[in-house]
Amino acid sequence: MLAGGLAILGGFVALALLAPLIAPFDPILQNPEAKLLPPSWAHPFGTDNFGRDVFSRVLWGARIDLQIAVLGVVFPFLIGTGAGTVAGFFGGWVDAVLMRIIDVVLAFPFLVLMLSIIAILGPGLASFYIAMALVGWVSYARLIRAQILVLKSQDFAVAAASLGFSRLRIMFRHLLPNALAGSLVFVMSDAVLVLLNGASISYLGLGVQPPVAEWGVMVAEAQGFISQAWWITLFPGLAIVTLAFGFSLTGDALADLMGVHE
Amino acid sequence: MTPLLEICNLSVAFRDGDENRLLLDGITVGLGQGEILGLVGESGSGKSLLCRTVMGLLPSRRLRVTAGAVRLEGRDILNDDIAAIRGRRIGMIFQNPTSHLDPVMTIGRQICEGLGRHRGLTGAAARAEAVDLLAQVGFPDPAEAFSSYAHRFSGGMRQRAMIAVALACEPEILIADEPTTALDVTIQAQILRLLMDLRDRRGLSIILITHDLGVVAQTCDRIAVMRRGQLVEVGEKRALLAAPAHAYTRQLVASHPLLSHAEAALPRHDADGAEPLFDVRGLEVAFPRGGGFLRPRRVFRALKGVSFSVRPGETVGIVGESGSGKSTFARTIMGLTRATAGDVVFAGHSLRSGRAAALKALRSEVAMVFQDPFNSLNPRMTIGQTLAEVLRDQGETPHDRIPGRIGELLDMVGLERALADRRPRSLSGGQCQRAGIARALAVNPKVIVADECVAALDVTIQAQIVALFRDLAEQQGLTLLFIAHDLAIVRNLCERVVVMHHGEIVEDGPSAEVFARPARAYTAELIAAIPDIDPDRPMGGARTNDKNDTNANNANKEELAT
Repeated sequence: MLAGGLAILGGFVALALLAPLIAPFDPILQNPEAKLLPPSWAHPFGTDNFGRDVFSRVLWGARIDLQIAVLGVVFPFLIGTGAGTVAGFFGGWVDAVLMRIIDVVLAFPFLVLMLSIIAILGPGLASFYIAMALVGWVSYARLIRAQILVLKSQDFAVAAASLGFSRLRIMFRHLLPNALAGSLVFVMSDAVLVLLNGASISYLGLGVQPPVAEWGVMVAEAQGFISQAWWITLFPGLAIVTLAFGFSLTGDALADLMGVHE
Repeated sequence: MTPLLEICNLSVAFRDGDENRLLLDGITVGLGQGEILGLVGESGSGKSLLCRTVMGLLPSRRLRVTAGAVRLEGRDILNDDIAAIRGRRIGMIFQNPTSHLDPVMTIGRQICEGLGRHRGLTGAAARAEAVDLLAQVGFPDPAEAFSSYAHRFSGGMRQRAMIAVALACEPEILIADEPTTALDVTIQAQILRLLMDLRDRRGLSIILITHDLGVVAQTCDRIAVMRRGQLVEVGEKRALLAAPAHAYTRQLVASHPLLSHAEAALPRHDADGAEPLFDVRGLEVAFPRGGGFLRPRRVFRALKGVSFSVRPGETVGIVGESGSGKSTFARTIMGLTRATAGDVVFAGHSLRSGRAAALKALRSEVAMVFQDPFNSLNPRMTIGQTLAEVLRDQGETPHDRIPGRIGELLDMVGLERALADRRPRSLSGGQCQRAGIARALAVNPKVIVADECVAALDVTIQAQIVALFRDLAEQQGLTLLFIAHDLAIVRNLCERVVVMHHGEIVEDGPSAEVFARPARAYTAELIAAIPDIDPDRPMGGARTNDKNDTNANNANKEELAT
């Protein structure tokens, strides 16, 4: 399972890196002569309503979408892990304040909150990452905090305290590595959600801006032609599903490997 | 006489892919009517598995009975419909009653369930029978217990409730899997007495699984010794204990800490003149408990004014039952838990007035060893990394000397140097505990505080660790604060013993004296309740029921304050 998941992820990374070499066409070059061509040897995935090669666009899109999946997870992960560790370790008012902030964030529907933040900051990928970081960290913070709460009362943590280690050392050297397994698994399933999220936000016109090739944007732009030209939506859609599947597989395999049971 | 239950040449194997391991290897043993058979052995020896096989409760699908038979009155119950037999003719009780009683069902209903299913009793008849059973197992107010939930009772009472649930089906055989391991000695004595009582009154046959040779010596008729899935020796208890035939049994008997015969540890030197290392005055610790919004705040007083001092080089054993405040005491003098009142002075530094200086002194001169050997080491670090971290943090060993020092530390605690690259998970409990001691020694401490550090280990390993502590204390002049609930170990290791009860020190004196002539009734009761390995020295001091225990718990554990 791990091998399968990693193969899919690795494949996408390779495609993204090699996109400039293997893509037969410029992803944003319009060619009015070749509009809405069905898949053929020249255009394996066909062409869209502007005559752009869908295959090339899907390849270039991998770059953007992988970036969304990675950056959209990394920032929430870092913020959430830090906040959760501190809240769980110190407890008391630090914990109370952080937990109330989390309650507030959770009180709003996820997508509505994302959309409002992006609307304030203005559309674009940067806004998307900022919104993701502001909203997504809460899950990580809660996961890590719960783990730290359990771990800090265990003997090895007490032993570290009795040996006079500094708080920072106890938190990040002793507690955190033992608390991480659950969140690392969650990172994988979260990457799937972030990817779909990024695609939805772009679909709504608030993320990646046309004419940049991104799978969500491609699906959005092509929806008007779905009855005449199914290939414009199908291939980017398949790419999203496959990449998500890769993350999912890897996450499940990691969970088994690390003994995390959801 | 044909035995009631016969286990003939029983083998159980674990199969996982190509791996095929024999976990029980040709066990043959019988249990007579009204007999108590003690099944002893260390963890992993297969004693619980044997009983689960008899009950038809194999814990995994990968386990298979590969040979042999289990006969109840001549009828093979492994192949027959076992559900009808289980519960009705064979009952089972477990080590941890809390997890085996349904927390959302009253004790009465759990008993009635069995009564209805196996004996067809319902309604008022079932209720009357259940109340009678609760009275038989020693509930002071059986009618009230009938409609109570398990959480209301102490561990000892829960174990009684579980016995009542098992008895509801009128079994002929009761399998008791470490029924008293989680209990204090005085409560253990009561439960063992109850089991013997039930045997006498109801003609019950009992298989008692335990790791404690004292328990079998006191209660059983015959003893079966298991090791690595094999039955190494079976025999009448007096004969077996007096002249064990198998080398392993001899080792077990020799490892059993003796209370009665062995000499108590003697003071190694006269330390009267020296300045006290630890000086504890009127120490009180209270934890908030329950209460909250619009409810009175309850306070649990873990320590109620403890005063005591330790001189350099002393070996002090701190004993007491669970909840007596021993561990809180250790953590408070280490500065890990804050005192509510009173003071701890370590080497002239007060934890109250000069906390920072006192903590600094404590951290560099006092080290702790913990109860759970696996849990007290960071599971993600190798033993070498764990030791190196301490050495670096202390800053007294030059960096290039660290690997050599790690080797020395491992030598000191009797671990092979190659084990430095292993993580705790791939070590045994005894090895982990040695690593824990090595970590404590890495600080180069003057004092070691050991909190129940042998409680989780098998007896033979226990004996080794205690010997290690004795050597270390002698060779390095360490001061040792050894916290334990096992009085026999303390007597053998420590020159001075402190007895704690409900957050107070009730007795403090030289081991030899305290054990020979306890000044307080509580200490005497505690000593008397220890099951001796000599069957002819019966346990004493057990009360007839737990009434005192529950009342004392209620009165002492929670006190309303503010």
